[in-house]
Amino acid sequence: MGGVQARRRAQGWLYIAPALLFVVLVVVVPFGQLVALSLSNQSLLGGGHFVGFDNYVKIWNDSAFWRALGFTLKYTLWLTPILMGLGYALALLTVDNSPLKKATRTIAFLPVVIGLGSSSLLWIWLFDEQVGLLNKALVDLHVIDAPIVWFVTADLAFWAVSISVTWKVVGFGMVLFVAGIQSINPEILEAAVIDGAGYWSRVWRIVLPLTRRVVLLTTLISVIGSLLALDQFYIMTSGAPRGQTFTAVYWIYQNSFVAFKLGYGAALSVVLTAVIMALSALQIALSQRGKAE
Amino acid sequence: MSVATIPAQDSAAVARPARRLSPTAYLVGAICVAVAALMAAPLALSLLASIKTTADASAVPPHYLPQALSAESYWKVVNFQAGLATYVGNSALVAGITIVACLLLAAPAGYGLARFAFRGKEIAFLLLLAPIMIPYQALLTPLYLDFAKLGLANSHFGLALVHTVLQLPFSIYLMRSAFEAVPREIEEAAAMDGCSSWQSLLRVFLPLAFPGLVTVGLFAFINSWNEFLGALIFMNHETDFTVPIMIVSVRTGNHGAVDWGALQASVVISILPCLAVYLLLQRYYISGLLAGAVK
Amino acid sequence: MTTKSLGGALALTLLASTAFATAASADTLSMWVRASGTNAATNLVNLWNASHPDKIELTTIPDNQMVTKLATGVQAKDVPDLVSFDLIYMPDFMKAGFLTDLTAELKANPNYASVAKAYQDIATYDGKIYGAGFTPDVSILVWNKDLFKKAGLDPEKGPTTLGEIHEDAKKIRALGADTYGFYFSGSCPGCNIFTGSPLMVAAGSKMLPANGKDDALTGDGVKAVLEAYKAMWDEGLVPKSAQADNGQDFVSLFKSGKIGIQGAGGFVIADFKKDVPTMNFGITFLPGVKEGQTSAFVGGDVVAVPVGSKHVDLAKAFINWELTDDAQIEGLAKNNILPSRPSLADNKYFKAEPKLVTTAKALGVGYVPWVFHFNDMVNSDSSPWINMLQRAVFDGDVDGAIKEAREKMKAIAAE
Repeated sequence: MGGVQARRRAQGWLYIAPALLFVVLVVVVPFGQLVALSLSNQSLLGGGHFVGFDNYVKIWNDSAFWRALGFTLKYTLWLTPILMGLGYALALLTVDNSPLKKATRTIAFLPVVIGLGSSSLLWIWLFDEQVGLLNKALVDLHVIDAPIVWFVTADLAFWAVSISVTWKVVGFGMVLFVAGIQSINPEILEAAVIDGAGYWSRVWRIVLPLTRRVVLLTTLISVIGSLLALDQFYIMTSGAPRGQTFTAVYWIYQNSFVAFKLGYGAALSVVLTAVIMALSALQIALSQRGKAE
Repeated sequence: MSVATIPAQDSAAVARPARRLSPTAYLVGAICVAVAALMAAPLALSLLASIKTTADASAVPPHYLPQALSAESYWKVVNFQAGLATYVGNSALVAGITIVACLLLAAPAGYGLARFAFRGKEIAFLLLLAPIMIPYQALLTPLYLDFAKLGLANSHFGLALVHTVLQLPFSIYLMRSAFEAVPREIEEAAAMDGCSSWQSLLRVFLPLAFPGLVTVGLFAFINSWNEFLGALIFMNHETDFTVPIMIVSVRTGNHGAVDWGALQASVVISILPCLAVYLLLQRYYISGLLAGAVK
Repeated sequence: MTTKSLGGALALTLLASTAFATAASADTLSMWVRASGTNAATNLVNLWNASHPDKIELTTIPDNQMVTKLATGVQAKDVPDLVSFDLIYMPDFMKAGFLTDLTAELKANPNYASVAKAYQDIATYDGKIYGAGFTPDVSILVWNKDLFKKAGLDPEKGPTTLGEIHEDAKKIRALGADTYGFYFSGSCPGCNIFTGSPLMVAAGSKMLPANGKDDALTGDGVKAVLEAYKAMWDEGLVPKSAQADNGQDFVSLFKSGKIGIQGAGGFVIADFKKDVPTMNFGITFLPGVKEGQTSAFVGGDVVAVPVGSKHVDLAKAFINWELTDDAQIEGLAKNNILPSRPSLADNKYFKAEPKLVTTAKALGVGYVPWVFHFNDMVNSDSSPWINMLQRAVFDGDVDGAIKEAREKMKAIAAE
């Protein structure tokens, strides 16, 4: 018995070994180099020397970074429930495979296949006060009196980016949730119908709990993605107004590639990664409690 | 055999209580149409703008419909620098290698995580999730210099490796879920027939998890196809560039001015392959995303 | 012997020598160009390829990534043979040792002496020359002649002072709800250093500090221009969308006939001809506060040879060639692009289009800032320059904005 178990254990490691080795070589090693870089003041244009933890001390005092991080967290906290909630609602809406539902699902998924850069520009075009059709449509529908300049205040800019990202990404959650819901054993649901449970009662008491795992994992991926947001803000707001819409990665980009401070940018990256890992660990720990297994 | 796929009609139990069309069904249908319209509207407008003349596409005030039909934006995109065919070919090559690499690595890894018990398994899983937690823009520069020393810079293979590692966490998660959904009885039956774990994987699990494989391939394709920064950093010659790089360059004018018509045309052009792949594989991947959520 | 035939002889000699050297087989040179300079560069490269056995292959790099690409390329020892990029990066690249010393060749080239002084300055470091002007552009003021006429202004007379810009803009705004007097891209640092700073320089200011001890934003020009912009903004002479424009609509509104006056670049001549051929517009120098004060931002791309280039001699030959009369006139002037040698502005192509002559003359009155970390100081999304503009014009605090910008710029220059 012990021998079989030991062999199974060894085999388990063997199977994950190639992927593990790959990740170590292509991610962990460069990350190690990044950490080494963070201990120097190397410039993008070359040159620099070891400075120990100076960069990390600078980060402590870098109010612009903390503001960017705070903004990123606010963005994540705001967007994640919207993405997950809307995604789940869309999943419930289109879960059976009738032609109309399938078509709706396909169309809702379509934005997912565009690149984020193109999508951001598409929306900046739509939102533009002068050339944008969104404003024109809103005025034509009498929702607003005059075109709005969307990117002038941080709040409006935030809304605009949120709308564009929601449009682009909600289909991804929807598709994952549809698969989760479709895999529920139909007998459970039929039994509930026979017991007289209404639709929403079934959703709340059966469907949601039984799709818990896919919801939690999708949320984790979505949160990490939001914490690492760059493209949508880089293209749509350029950090304006007055740098109020810089995200954490945007600030890293500014330091590393615009101000040429590669070493400092590396330190910022390390700090951000630590934050993300901590938050992810927290999320996973919370979801392990009462896992339906 | 196809235990992993559950007939879709049964999930109607969730969607509606009775078979005949009730007022609720009409309402639901209307909502579907509204949702589809909202989601499609930006793309439809983009398509319409792509067939306007360049001047019309940036006109103030804007028009919903083109004043005059013009293919000049598409012409610009198709003929830019090395020509669209070159970029599409490069993107397809990189995406193809990425798909193969993802499958080769994620399938065994998912198998190991799903069907074997060993200490440190969850920590290993977390480590395998690590690539998506690091701001990859920061990793690109050290990675490029490393690859340069290994002779992997400027190669589509090298770029595909980067795309693979970015897709690996999600791919492994998909494969793990797909394999976990296979009932124990089938695995035990195979073992009793004398199959080794490897033979089990090849003969039992992979066929059953085929939809999962397709899903991995689909998302690997989409993400590799749209990846911009890595492709730009790792390639040094125009003829090696991929579609996303071309898209950025074709729409850039002086001082940040954007050629809106070229933007719309490039959006339409870059969607088409992904849309085609998605539609072709649709029947596989929906059941493939059996994320084992429910067991 | 005229310069032209001497230059021609020199070119021929160089051609012949390189032809002898590479008589065995034709080489292919690689050249990087930034996306917004691709069209211009293609003209010169095609001309070279048509008349030389060794071909040049262009690779287009998106503007924002050019510095990163070159930097990583130099470190990985994988660089193109030639590179063309925004000239404001020259100081940083020269200091970092990325570029090959071309002093000997260029000093020996008689055509080089007639290159616009701004281009010579920007390509010189420590007495050595590292590049040459390639596809120039320069900023000018454009005005919509039809709107001027409608507003009762003389359509052939563009504004010649800051005050006139303001007055003319007011009259044009009065034409209707859809028509605006003035435009600038309020969130585009590059657009404004290109079109706004010359107004300040013309009014007597010096812009950017070259090092920590140098002064920044000196003189009254900065304040005068910012106050004028603020006044026009407050009076509603500028569309509200300008505040959020990152540059994507730099000239879109003007092309739609909605704007009376704005700063732009020489590139609009070809651009407008292609997209809005029926538009009547005028071009003049960017003015200062008093009559006769004019300036311009001398911009565009330079060409250089990165360290590590595998075809250094051929690359140098290309640079020498592009300065010849033939290349400048048939490659650049023919395509409505300014030659980097102002003496060639009087050519047959420009004679057919007087706007080009004005633009070429602007090269002579223009300035180019020679500073390190230009990106950080000006072009970055968090730069002191754009913060100053936005704080002064949109928040209304002109003095505070200037003071803050001065301090931050000096801090950057001191790094």
